[in-house]
Amino acid sequence: MIDLVWFQLLSAVLFVIGLYGVMARRSAVLIIMSIELMLNAVNINLIAAASHMEGVGRFSNFDGQLIAIFIITVAAAEVGLALAIILRMFRNRSTVNVDEINLMKW
Amino acid sequence: MEWAWLIPIFSFAAAPLIVLFGKFLPGKGSWLSILAIGGGFVMFWVVLNSWLAANAATSGCFTSENTGMLTCDYERSWFNAGLVGEIGSVSLHWGILVDPLTIAMLGLVTFVALMVQIYSLAYMHGDPRFGWYFAVHSLFAAAMLTLVLADNFLLLYVAWELVGICSYLLIGFWHERPQAREAAKKAFIVTRIGDVGLLIGILLIWRDVGSFSMLDAFEAVRTGAMSEGVTTAAALLLFLGAMGKSAQVPFHVWLPDAMEGPTPVSALIHAATMVVAGVFLVARVFPLFEAYDADPLIVVAIVGLVTALGAATIALVATDLKRILAYSTISHLGLMMLSLGAFGYTAAIFHLMAHGFSKALLFLGAGSVLHSTEFQETGEMGGLRKVMPLTAIVFSIGALSLGGIPILAGFWSKDEILVAVADHRNVTFIVLTLFTALLSALYMARAMFLVFYGPLKDQNNQVHDAPAAMAVPMAILGVLALGFGLISFNWPGSYAGIGTFVFFEHAEAFHFEIWIGVLSIVMSVAAFYVAHLIYVRKSISLDSVRARNAGILKVIENKYYFDEVYQWTIDRLVLVFSRFIAYFDRAIINDIMVNGPADVTRKFGIALRVHVTGHVYSYTLAMALGSIGLGIFVWLRVV
Repeated sequence: MIDLVWFQLLSAVLFVIGLYGVMARRSAVLIIMSIELMLNAVNINLIAAASHMEGVGRFSNFDGQLIAIFIITVAAAEVGLALAIILRMFRNRSTVNVDEINLMKW
Repeated sequence: MEWAWLIPIFSFAAAPLIVLFGKFLPGKGSWLSILAIGGGFVMFWVVLNSWLAANAATSGCFTSENTGMLTCDYERSWFNAGLVGEIGSVSLHWGILVDPLTIAMLGLVTFVALMVQIYSLAYMHGDPRFGWYFAVHSLFAAAMLTLVLADNFLLLYVAWELVGICSYLLIGFWHERPQAREAAKKAFIVTRIGDVGLLIGILLIWRDVGSFSMLDAFEAVRTGAMSEGVTTAAALLLFLGAMGKSAQVPFHVWLPDAMEGPTPVSALIHAATMVVAGVFLVARVFPLFEAYDADPLIVVAIVGLVTALGAATIALVATDLKRILAYSTISHLGLMMLSLGAFGYTAAIFHLMAHGFSKALLFLGAGSVLHSTEFQETGEMGGLRKVMPLTAIVFSIGALSLGGIPILAGFWSKDEILVAVADHRNVTFIVLTLFTALLSALYMARAMFLVFYGPLKDQNNQVHDAPAAMAVPMAILGVLALGFGLISFNWPGSYAGIGTFVFFEHAEAFHFEIWIGVLSIVMSVAAFYVAHLIYVRKSISLDSVRARNAGILKVIENKYYFDEVYQWTIDRLVLVFSRFIAYFDRAIINDIMVNGPADVTRKFGIALRVHVTGHVYSYTLAMALGSIGLGIFVWLRVV
């Protein structure tokens, strides 16, 4: 069995790539994709931990999987909503560049 | 008698009716106003008769402690402040007080107002604000009648201010003319200065008596519940209000300017009724003045004398017909005050009425002249008796009456004043009063001769006499000015002269001191004769007199520089102070106290908004760093 630490390392790398994407990208679509990346990094972490930690303390295999499925569901809904917002944004402003979406700024 | 309150109510009702529905009514509702005041005049006779028939057993009536006359007081609760019966609660009433003084004033006001309103029908004919004129006239009459009927100071004060605002509206009636606007403002502001004194005086009485009722105040003075100091102070403060309204020096400056209003207004308000409200007030609260050695009366007498003398000299040199009459009014108001100040209560009220009829007559006559010649300067007139005989006759009656020619009303009342002054004040007073009487005859003669006698000017050839609506009131008032003096005498039957009707403390028959009577007749006749020589025959020339007294003449012609001094005070002191206050308001109140906090908030906001960059990456970075920081913090805590 592969050591848990490799999974965690993979998860951390994916998460940081996602974070970098959110901060560095200007296109709203790419930001959404980066957020998906961060969410999935968390999912890997959760699943790996769940399979390694079975029987340790009061954790069960089921806990981690449940939360991972929950996150996937929420992520799907979130993407649907976010893409709708981005679509409207593009219709109105003809751009998805978040730097130009600054109407609410002083 | 308890229905006497109807007298002002008629006119109070007429005023809004004319304003609201006047334009749909024939004559713009002017007849409503005349009907109302006519009803008031009828009610006056009813009240007089029921007063004569009443006795101390009649409900609401009792014998006054001050005059021994039957006095009737009817009051209703107005409102209560606080819980009734508790300490500190105030219960206010309004009511009417019917006594001889009130009845005399009711008769004067309703009658003169009726005459003037009928006269106005013709005088104001064709004016674009004809209806409004009559509405305000009605309101004025109502307020004035309330003023004389009021049995408490609060109601009196309300009516007092109401006549003031009506006076303002009527002086400024032709408000298209800037002088009329200025005169209206001046009249209102100057009288308001005195009114502040009146209000403080009323509150002072209320503090000590705990009631606004005049009868309670008189009772408190008689029993000593009101101390000498408070009584004197209250009397003097009330007198301040009276000085403003009755145009006494130094508040007289508004009355000559008030002549900017229509002439019938001058006749009613600025000759016969409103300006005598001050005299009426002093007479009404006479117990306050007369209590404790009667010290305030000395002030009243001095102010009256100065006013009478000063105004008489100005009247002698004024050239504008209405202004001559205005200064004559001020002078005679001064005489009334002087009379009150010399315990001549009866004489003052008698002169008030005689002067009211005569001066209203003079103003209506002057109005008739102005109406047909369109001139106000006496220099443009002369010889008008040939073209307007009736006006000439009635004006002459008024002038002779005020000039003190025997058997006319003014002679008897002026003599009463002279007797009162001779009896109660020292020799300086009587000499100066006699001199004032002489001047009074001179300026009346001058006005009369300048306007109606001598050669007729060509420009006045087409002038016509007054139309019927103006002629009839003038004729009626003329008869009164001629014969009103008769009421001063003891008549066979129950009537024993005005001295037994309107009096204070004890009834007096008409008394006539030979030396004063003879002296005043000689003076008056001489004054008229000299004036005739100067202005009609021109056999005496005034040029040398004028040249020799050029200095004094200049002072008098400039009205003793009262207006200049006031203007200087306003420009140099009041306005400078006002500017300082305005600056304080702008700089301290507005800029620092109000805009200051707003400024601080705004600047703080500008400093704070730097972190709201609007860039997604900066927010994300902050969020990531925050999360990491939080993680490290928790980790350190756990480990």
